[in-house]
Amino acid sequence: MRERGYARIADYAAIGDGRTAALVARDGSIDWLCLPDFDSPSVFAAILDADRGGAFRLHPVEPFEADRRYVEGSNVLETTFRTASGALRVQDAMTLIPPGRLAPMREVVRKVACLDGACEVEWAVEPRFGFGRDDGRVAVRDGRVAFTHSKIRLTLSVWGADAASSGRARLTAGESLLFSLASAYHQPALLPGQRDTEERLEHTIRFWREWSARATYDGPWRDAVLRSALALKQLCFAPSGAIVAAPSSSLPERIGGSRNWDYRFSWLRDASYTLEALLNLGYADEADAFFWWFMHASRRTQPRMAALYRIDGGDGPRERELDLAGYKGSRPVRVGNAAQTQLQLDVYGSVFNSIWLHARRHGRLGAQTGRSTAKVADHVAECWDRPDSGIWEVRSEPKHYVHSKAMCWAALDRACRLADADLLPDRAHRWRSAADAVRDWVETHGWDDELGAYVRAPGAGEVDASILTLPLVDYGGNDERMLSTVNAVRSRLAAGPLLYRYVGEDGVPGEEGAFTTCSFWLVDALARLGRVDEAATLMDDLVPLANDVGLFAEELDPSTGEHLGNFPQGLVHLALINAAFSIQHAGAEA
Amino acid sequence: MTLAGALAGGFVGTLVLTTGLRLAQVAGLTRMDIPLLLGTAFSERISRASAIGYALHFLNGQIFAVGYWAIFRAVGEAGWLFGGVLGVVHAAFAGGALVNILLPAVHPRMGSRWTDASETPVLEPPGFMLWNYGPHTALVTLAAHIAYGAIVGGFAAGL
Repeated sequence: MRERGYARIADYAAIGDGRTAALVARDGSIDWLCLPDFDSPSVFAAILDADRGGAFRLHPVEPFEADRRYVEGSNVLETTFRTASGALRVQDAMTLIPPGRLAPMREVVRKVACLDGACEVEWAVEPRFGFGRDDGRVAVRDGRVAFTHSKIRLTLSVWGADAASSGRARLTAGESLLFSLASAYHQPALLPGQRDTEERLEHTIRFWREWSARATYDGPWRDAVLRSALALKQLCFAPSGAIVAAPSSSLPERIGGSRNWDYRFSWLRDASYTLEALLNLGYADEADAFFWWFMHASRRTQPRMAALYRIDGGDGPRERELDLAGYKGSRPVRVGNAAQTQLQLDVYGSVFNSIWLHARRHGRLGAQTGRSTAKVADHVAECWDRPDSGIWEVRSEPKHYVHSKAMCWAALDRACRLADADLLPDRAHRWRSAADAVRDWVETHGWDDELGAYVRAPGAGEVDASILTLPLVDYGGNDERMLSTVNAVRSRLAAGPLLYRYVGEDGVPGEEGAFTTCSFWLVDALARLGRVDEAATLMDDLVPLANDVGLFAEELDPSTGEHLGNFPQGLVHLALINAAFSIQHAGAEA
Repeated sequence: MTLAGALAGGFVGTLVLTTGLRLAQVAGLTRMDIPLLLGTAFSERISRASAIGYALHFLNGQIFAVGYWAIFRAVGEAGWLFGGVLGVVHAAFAGGALVNILLPAVHPRMGSRWTDASETPVLEPPGFMLWNYGPHTALVTLAAHIAYGAIVGGFAAGL
């Protein structure tokens, strides 16, 4: 099940509480957890260093087979272990706090029940604080195990067996064990009771079911869309409304490679897709929270918009490398992200499309927000002709990426629409003239007659899958050209149903897998361009490529189907949701 | 030293504090917007919230001026310098507890470290010493409160 101590990326499932998330392997080991927040240092990081990272292992002593699923409509994981002598079911959750109740700040609950026969279960809780640097202090107090490091106190409570950081217990049918790993940060530890812990687990399942039941999608890919919505909700940082790209860091885009990045931040590039998905699903509160988060977070940098922000609204942290072995030896292991300093012009298109979606829903924007938004539009009108690092955050020299320019057009076009609706100070004449100039540039320099496609950059002689997003923002180009581009992208970048992002250089050595999001963008583009049957067929091919619990990593290896990169990746799930809705809408219009 | 002087100083001090914070915001030093933070407790419409927030902030300025005056009376001394020293304490209290802990506890639209997936606040929590609103926020807040305290102290002593 494990190779060199590492589970396959596809063998993980995420459990989260809207502040942080843990990755649980199929064999019952929690190999990743940062506390107290997504972007905090890890307490469990065995996924990045099997020897020194730290983990919470829980599994039968005998050889076993594991089968798992999420409890229906929830983010509570249920793994069933079958051995020669019996069967165990483990429910794993990061619990939510029932209204008005005193509860641990963050808590992982693991409930073990023997379903059949008899099983001996073994556990070991081995936190390593600060990305594997420190064991912390361990003490047993009042029948609980306390792990302390700097400002963090973890308290392990065990009911049904002696409290110890590691141990074994024999269960027969009907018997159960309950673990609570509660954390306190800067505050006294709260010591949970068994009944309260079980109630929190039930409350958590109930909340997730009620939340997911509100999703409005009822099409042929309902299970995949619901799972994607639940995955997305797990990535929402509830205290601020930010949404992390993924809860993990440095899971490699190629095993053994160096394309290992920290995704525990919020990218404005995803803003438009996020609002569209949440509004389509009927989750307006989450959409509003995210909208106001990024409007506030960007206030200090406006009119410039950074590519990414910390989930607390601060600037992204400096990128650095950690002394960890890396997933299956994939080094370096990085935290922080250098993309924060890049100029990425596509961000503006995403931000303005989001503002347009928000304003259209509410019918207002507010005078102050309108004034600051107009200044951002002025900035786009001034800076669209600069070279940038593009949506893919390439680390080679900035170029004139066609996708970036077209997204600037989208930004200026949405600014005009907002001004026309009296939601922005009226400088529409200036913005329209700039938008026309951008479109002229794209149609003149961004089109390659030989390829029959919009290209990655003028003179590059190659296509780029990011161009597939242009129909998603109503780029006012020529549909014939867009259809031709879609065909060119498929013929040059496709591997079965999957697509690579591009094939040219990007300033980082090594190869990578196919970028799963691009395949769903292709579905979306096909649906919007009227090729609905083709879109639906491709969707049918893509949805089963998720792992056994319906989650996607950033990339897939076309030859092996292995999931690669950070996991679970929000952008893939956003693209899946939006693709499903586009097919539904296109079908309704047809 | 008079209460009327302290109240007048509280008004002028709040004016200076609010203007200073707003200038710092425009200059990109901080994302903190006290009227918005206060006002959104009562309205989700940004313009209305800001108007309510300004009114509340000036009311708070008067309440704190009364507090300053009580301290001046208890100590038997008032002045620009003593007021400025109280402003340092005031800033530490504002960043460490008032805006950081008490406001998120009562604000219906603001998150806190305890907010989980079952809630969807639309305002991010300030964080310790208001760090979440930008790394310079603590310094800006300190300077603004020293100015407020000095003005209240000066007015209380002089009128």
